[in-house]
Amino acid sequence: MYSLGIIKSQPLRLVLTMGAVSLCIMLMLFLLGIYKGVADGSVEYIRRNNADLWVLQKNCTNILRGTSLLSAWQEITIGENPEVESVSPVLFLLSSVKNKKGNSTVFLTGYDPGSRFGGPPVLIQGRTVKNGREIVLDEAYAQKSGVDLNENINIQDQSFKVVGFSKGTNAFVIQYAFTTIDKARSLIGFPGLTTCYIIKVQAGSDINKVRSDLSEKLTGTAIYTQQEFLNNNIREMESGFLPILYAVASLGAVVLTVILSLILSINILEKKKDFAVMKILGATSGFLAVTVIKQAMIIIIAGAAVAVVLYFPAAAGIHYLSPEVSTENTFIQLLAVFSAAVGMGLISSFFAIQRIRKIYALEVFYENK
Amino acid sequence: MKINEIVRLQDVNKFYRSNSHKSTGVRNVNLKAEKGEMLLLLGPSGSGKTTLLTLIAALLKPTSGKVFLYAKDIAGMKAKELQRIRAERIGFIFQSFLLIESLSALQNIELALKFAKHDKKNIRITALNLLRQFEIEDLAFKPASALSQGEKQRVAVARAIANDADLIIADEPTASLETSQGKKIIELLHNYAVQEDKCVIVASHDLRLKDYADRIIHLCDGEVIY
Repeated sequence: MYSLGIIKSQPLRLVLTMGAVSLCIMLMLFLLGIYKGVADGSVEYIRRNNADLWVLQKNCTNILRGTSLLSAWQEITIGENPEVESVSPVLFLLSSVKNKKGNSTVFLTGYDPGSRFGGPPVLIQGRTVKNGREIVLDEAYAQKSGVDLNENINIQDQSFKVVGFSKGTNAFVIQYAFTTIDKARSLIGFPGLTTCYIIKVQAGSDINKVRSDLSEKLTGTAIYTQQEFLNNNIREMESGFLPILYAVASLGAVVLTVILSLILSINILEKKKDFAVMKILGATSGFLAVTVIKQAMIIIIAGAAVAVVLYFPAAAGIHYLSPEVSTENTFIQLLAVFSAAVGMGLISSFFAIQRIRKIYALEVFYENK
Repeated sequence: MKINEIVRLQDVNKFYRSNSHKSTGVRNVNLKAEKGEMLLLLGPSGSGKTTLLTLIAALLKPTSGKVFLYAKDIAGMKAKELQRIRAERIGFIFQSFLLIESLSALQNIELALKFAKHDKKNIRITALNLLRQFEIEDLAFKPASALSQGEKQRVAVARAIANDADLIIADEPTASLETSQGKKIIELLHNYAVQEDKCVIVASHDLRLKDYADRIIHLCDGEVIY
């Protein structure tokens, strides 16, 4: 009752503190949402392909930040293995696109439209490409660039008709685009060049045996299972992105702790007399500590509630203004952020509680004297 | 055998030190207070009344000498034990009442009962009964900050006796009040001491309180003069 009384006695301060706490919680939710969005956008392509084996140039472990150059004869060698059901070549290029809003870069993915591997993981509008004059764009890229279906864009002075939009292809800093592998090869000027081969083995075949057989014949390559390759890419994405995310999230947590600690300390200093009276009346140090912790928890819970209410419209607004900033939040994330905020609240209380110890209770006897 | 002694001070000295300066709080004090009496510590400002009160309430420990609370030397008691005694057996009335302003009158009393580890189920009923006893039941849910001086005074007394304290410590309880209100509070405290068989110790410089005290201790410059 006392904790609530203190908080209610300063409504403006309560609103400002709650606002600051909400912003910190929203920042943490936003960063986690971005992380999930980027994580999904970066590796969804690999996950959705659901291949059995990925063949890349030796020492190249991922497609996000690795260079892999393979040649066409390797496709023939792979195809000769009787346990291989299909082999699909894919070529990745960083290409500059000229659209009506100017120039921007896409992660151009050349694939064989006749194969079920290597193409856009999810089409949300339109269709896949049928020939080298067509292109499928990531939905966020299309939105950002103001490109509609059936419009034309230019890559290296060659015109492509936009025939579809894909989802799960937004890696935050760059977005995927899809055309035929022949067109991609012609753009780079090296026929037969491939970044990787996606292999599907025959049903019932031992994937590890196929890998081992192929490794013997394909010198200078690295062959990964689907899970290994997925993990490699996730690791690569996290190593480049997570440290920044952690740094900003930590900053948010520190700001939350400092603000809360400051407010709780101010409340204690302002109510010094009350705490002194309670000490004299026989309040235990535990009771006094709990009054501070309760204040922190009331602010955290109220701030979290406000944050949750405001966060989703805010994230939608950011996505509207910057379509490539795609967030995805889960219930577990909400729970994690709330738990972190409660933890920060407890830490803030701990600092503020130290102030109570310094209150000299006998001062109340000398008041007005 | 019934023990009447509530507090006893034996050759008590209290000195304060700040840097190299040493000042006297109280010097060579011997006194005893028992159940059923109201003791008045009378003296001008700076005579050591408040120091003596805080020593009696075990809020301060003496520089030398012994303070016995309920026949037990406080020197051997731990802070937690002293805190429990204050919560359960001592009631305090301060000069400006010092109610917790953000709480209601009722909550102020409930807080004292909570500290005294009163049965949780009965805290509200007990607090309401006390307000009824002081004829301020209608103020129960009014914030302390909205109470008049006279109303605060009654809530403060109700809070002090809420834990059924054997010892009431009142520091200048009439100083913030008009004469009639001051008279009321001192009568209340005297009745509490006599009728409930409790010990009330009042520190004041108000000579008008002499008529209500069972015993008077005059202090000057930290010493009991008679």
